[in-house]
Amino acid sequence: MNSRERVLKVFRKEAVDRVPCFSGMGNITETGINQLGYKFAGIHLDAKQMAETAATSYKLFGYECGVVPVDLCVEAEAMGCVINVYPQAEGILYPTIKEKLIHNEAEMDTIKLPEGFSEKGRIPLMRTAIGLLKADIGNDVVVGSYVLGPFTLAGQIMELNDLLKLSFKKADKVAKLLDLCADAIILTAKEYEKAGVDFITVREMGATSDVLSPRVFKSLILPPLQKVMKAISVYSVLHICGKTNDIVTSMMEAGPTAISVEQKNDVAESRKKLGPDAIIFGNMDAYNVLVSGSEEVVRQAVRKCIDDGVSGVWPGCDIWPTVPPQNMKAMMEETISYGGKK
Amino acid sequence: MADEARKKEILEKLRNGVIQYDEDACREGANEALEAGLDANEAIFDGLVSGMEEVGRLFEAQEYFVPEILMCADALYAGLDILKPHCKQMDLGLKGSVVIGTVEGDVHDIGKNLVKMMFDVAGFNVYDLGRDVPLDKFVDEQLKTDSDLVCLSAMMTTSMVGMPTVIEKIKAKNPNCMIMIGGAPTSKDLADKWGADGYAEDASNALKEAIKMVAFLKKLRDEKAAK
Repeated sequence: MNSRERVLKVFRKEAVDRVPCFSGMGNITETGINQLGYKFAGIHLDAKQMAETAATSYKLFGYECGVVPVDLCVEAEAMGCVINVYPQAEGILYPTIKEKLIHNEAEMDTIKLPEGFSEKGRIPLMRTAIGLLKADIGNDVVVGSYVLGPFTLAGQIMELNDLLKLSFKKADKVAKLLDLCADAIILTAKEYEKAGVDFITVREMGATSDVLSPRVFKSLILPPLQKVMKAISVYSVLHICGKTNDIVTSMMEAGPTAISVEQKNDVAESRKKLGPDAIIFGNMDAYNVLVSGSEEVVRQAVRKCIDDGVSGVWPGCDIWPTVPPQNMKAMMEETISYGGKK
Repeated sequence: MADEARKKEILEKLRNGVIQYDEDACREGANEALEAGLDANEAIFDGLVSGMEEVGRLFEAQEYFVPEILMCADALYAGLDILKPHCKQMDLGLKGSVVIGTVEGDVHDIGKNLVKMMFDVAGFNVYDLGRDVPLDKFVDEQLKTDSDLVCLSAMMTTSMVGMPTVIEKIKAKNPNCMIMIGGAPTSKDLADKWGADGYAEDASNALKEAIKMVAFLKKLRDEKAAK
């Protein structure tokens, strides 16, 4: 079975020879970018560069997927936000939103999605990039893409500060905005599906229990997430960073094929709560272990993930591009040698 | 001078106003404090800040989350805005100025604003550079203002990695400047490794760290008053 078949079997809950090592989030490395001679700031605006770079983690290390985009601003940009890719930056700076769409509470009611949404911003570029990536490595590994969750997207198009307070003071108003964000996300996901992705990860990072109570998660965050999950026809993964121990069951209720958690989640405990059939990806520490750790620390972390019962060894966030190549190799080797033993 | 019972009542009002994120109560309490002739510093520390300390505890106990903290902060500022012009300059033998901002590549500023609030409370001169701040700007601003503290904030791993560059540059030019880093992806290990003097991993922690500093100032003030 090749990597692609292995991951697809995991999504279908079929038996595999070992757990795979992949993710639905960013995983490009400086090693890969430098080999191609590209600049980080350039790859967000060029489908060919983006797709080629996204293929390097598989080609160099055997990482079992290819994922585009690299940044988190595609949906907000298509909705009308101005983004900054930091074209002059020497090092690595991820694009951010320069100009919000909603500047005050009243504008929450008047905001609409632009006509012809699927042709806005970089959505056409994303379709091209997915197509190129699939043609390049799509027979060997799964090709994935990601969208934001409704709350996280809302936090980009308006001041997060205001959004958080209004979630408390005027939940109805926020719920309406989240529903609109859900529509934007669904339109984006549908374009990615058309372009041929095997799976889509929904990143609802803003709704972590570090920020919002599990109660508000249930009442406010869950309904629009359910709407998004229901609309995605390929395999779906719901990712939330930070503290998630108290919301893993709610995450499952959102209806994804799988959930993804980071190192703050006690996966052994989550596995107990969700049962043997649940697909749980995680919870490799994408920075403190993968970038800063030694090879041995990386190997230990991989074994711990597997012992705790992950369905796939999966870094809990975008892999920071300066990751040492030997750590990527160690993560893959350890998954391959240890991942079939459980 | 206000009698003790009245004073206690006003301080309670300020404290509860913060805890219950009631901006009106804080405004009222602040005006009453001034009318009753309470010392403005005392109203701030024993009323507003005391309330914020309880908010920090509630956050830790997971009774409160970030939205509540933000509303409590609004209530605190409602009282602070009224009281601050009446504060006597605190002579603590500290220069008390701080440069604060969120590093380039990051547009999240909630944690930064909470820490800033505590410095505002303490009467620091706060040079707030805002968010998405180019790294060299921290270095320039520190040199320009000769601030004794620089606070760097980042919410995401993807932006935190600019921090060591700033720390190194500031320490090279001004080894006595203290540097505090904060934000979800930071850790004590990283702070040590990068040569920062302190760190706060989340809003509660940031709040706690800042409260610790303010509590230290308060102690100095009390000691001074006792003399």
